[in-house]
Amino acid sequence: MTTADAAPARLSNNLRSLALRRQDVPLLALYALAFALLHWAASPWGGAGFFSLWYPAAGLRFAVLWSRGARLTPWLMLTEVLTDAAVGVFPLIGPEALQAITGALRPGVTCGLAIAAVRHMAKSRGDELMLPPMTLGLAAVAAPILNAVMVIPFEAGLPADAGRYRIGVDVAISLTGLAVGDLLGILVLAPLLLWTAAVADGAVPIRIPVPHLRPLLEDVSVMALCLLLTVALWRGGLGAQPIPSLLAGAWIGLRHGRTAAWFAILAQVTVFLPYSAGPLDDGSRLELHLGLAAVVLVTWLAGSFCDAQAVARQHIDRRNRLLFQAERLKTLRAMSVAVIHEISQPLSTLAIEAAHLKSVTAHLDADTAASAALVDRKARALSDLVRRLRRFGGRDVDEPSPLPVPMLVQTACQIVGAEARASGGRLDCGPLAADLVVQAQEIELTQALVNLLRNALAASPGGTVRLTVHTRGEDVLIDVSNPVPDAPGSSGARNDARNDGGMGVGLVIARTIVEAHGGALSRSDEPGLVRFTISLPLLTGAFA
Amino acid sequence: MTDPVSVAVLDDDADLAATVARLLVRSGIPARAFVAPQDLLAAVPATAFGCVVSDIQMGEMDGFAFADALRTKDPAAALVFMTAWPTTTHAVDAVRRHGGLDYLEKPIDEARLIASVTEGLAWSQRERRIAAVTAALTRREREVFDLLVRGHSNKAMAGVLGISERTVEDHRASIVAKTRTNGMAQLVALSRGEAI
Repeated sequence: MTTADAAPARLSNNLRSLALRRQDVPLLALYALAFALLHWAASPWGGAGFFSLWYPAAGLRFAVLWSRGARLTPWLMLTEVLTDAAVGVFPLIGPEALQAITGALRPGVTCGLAIAAVRHMAKSRGDELMLPPMTLGLAAVAAPILNAVMVIPFEAGLPADAGRYRIGVDVAISLTGLAVGDLLGILVLAPLLLWTAAVADGAVPIRIPVPHLRPLLEDVSVMALCLLLTVALWRGGLGAQPIPSLLAGAWIGLRHGRTAAWFAILAQVTVFLPYSAGPLDDGSRLELHLGLAAVVLVTWLAGSFCDAQAVARQHIDRRNRLLFQAERLKTLRAMSVAVIHEISQPLSTLAIEAAHLKSVTAHLDADTAASAALVDRKARALSDLVRRLRRFGGRDVDEPSPLPVPMLVQTACQIVGAEARASGGRLDCGPLAADLVVQAQEIELTQALVNLLRNALAASPGGTVRLTVHTRGEDVLIDVSNPVPDAPGSSGARNDARNDGGMGVGLVIARTIVEAHGGALSRSDEPGLVRFTISLPLLTGAFA
Repeated sequence: MTDPVSVAVLDDDADLAATVARLLVRSGIPARAFVAPQDLLAAVPATAFGCVVSDIQMGEMDGFAFADALRTKDPAAALVFMTAWPTTTHAVDAVRRHGGLDYLEKPIDEARLIASVTEGLAWSQRERRIAAVTAALTRREREVFDLLVRGHSNKAMAGVLGISERTVEDHRASIVAKTRTNGMAQLVALSRGEAI
């Protein structure tokens, strides 16, 4: 497929993924109900120029888009508009309808965009701030900010007097109020919903984590102290000051991660929201919520950062284990070379004497002659084995040289053959054209093929692993395929040794080796079949 | 000198040395086994071995050091190396730098061993004949001999060596007398180590 064909195909694929699926319908119905409820629940914190300074419906929207994918964005927008119309938030016809509908559509668009953008960035960048726990935190901040910023272009084309965010108050206050409301809603509600969704999907076990006593005590006392300080300041006539909570939130988040951070957020919100729902003027309510948003934001990001650190630490631990494994393999290799040497010395004697014994006993009785012949044959086979093993494991430098593909396939199949028989599987290395030659480091490339064959055997116990070779243009393609009971792409069809006590690095190593040879390792499954393909540039001309 | 066409097998594994020696003996090649390089070196000028089959990795003295020591004592002994640790660099060194005739991997391929040893013995025999012939000649006679067997005329030799044609003729007569040869063809054969 050429690049020109690929772009429209990708576009149509993308469009198809947006289609409504059957399992989305109940979700959308539930969403409509919950959205209406949460929208209504936000009303006590309203003010001039913005709808509410605490908007949990944004958290619901964020959680659904984050866990079910940004592809649901258009359907959520539609649901929101219909729900708003159904409960009478705004009329679907009339002079204000256009403004009201665009206003209701905007948060959905911006939330979907923010999530997609953060995910895209996370994929293309590898730094610490983009580890999974941190991406959620960043998206949770990006979504409300984008929502507020997009108000201006969205409403630019509308009649000047119709804008909800322009009447009477300054645009900045109005947009800040909007962002604060969404941010609070997302950070308070989304983590809980996402956790519930993960439990419902079976991604995490249904298990309320029992916190350890000491961290719990620490967090509770920090929070209590800070809230007491808040109360003291309030009693002292300074108003409700969120700064002590900021300290508590940062402390708790940095120390114990997102779960602790979320409970801290819950505690902060439970203290401040009832207060701010009371008789306050718009200005001080906005001020208070601005502070509260900062507190919640810092708490959540601190928690996310702590968890991201933990993930990074796990990565390092895993890498250390791999290094340790590599070191052990190196030692094993040195040991095996030494063993081969130690064996080849007495084997030399044995083979020569056995051959002699065979020749001098040839005229004796059949039984003696047969014994001697057998000893000689076994000694010879053992000598062959030692020579072959030494070629594979004992050489230090592996210079690239022209390598016939049939030889590569034969060596790899010999190495894996014994394992296949032992595990009851079968290895089918079909007939090969002899004239295929690649420029390769023989031992490395053999290792790559051996890894693929091993993985395939492990993934289909008792099945037949098929190895076929064919050409395409200037490349030779080596296919390793194995049957799988499950549908391709499901977890049962994973072809790596991780489930069998291996480190799961065989595939990574194979890919690295193949790519170092200017080739590529790809996977193309069919129903009931997993297929990995090594493609290598063929050596043509004088060397072939 | 005792039997000039005999083979020494050197390996610090006594069993293997003895086995290889016995294998050669069975194939009609007289052979003796040695375990220590020093023992073999001590036996050398007295016993002129036609070919020495030596291990490379040995305890105190490795095969290459032994080869160099042997060369200084007897430049006409052929060398065949065997090893349980084959490496490309070793194989190249064995042949290029230490004058090895072959480099055998353990476990040893019997046919190849016998072929190499036979070749080594023939080479050694030629070397010894040439040495025997040229040992009797003076330095000047040796120079004339070398040019003569390459087909130079008396005049050409006189020019190259800076002596008169007459002197060249004297040297030629002396060479023929010392080597008891009869004509140019036999002299050329001698220079190649062939028996006349």
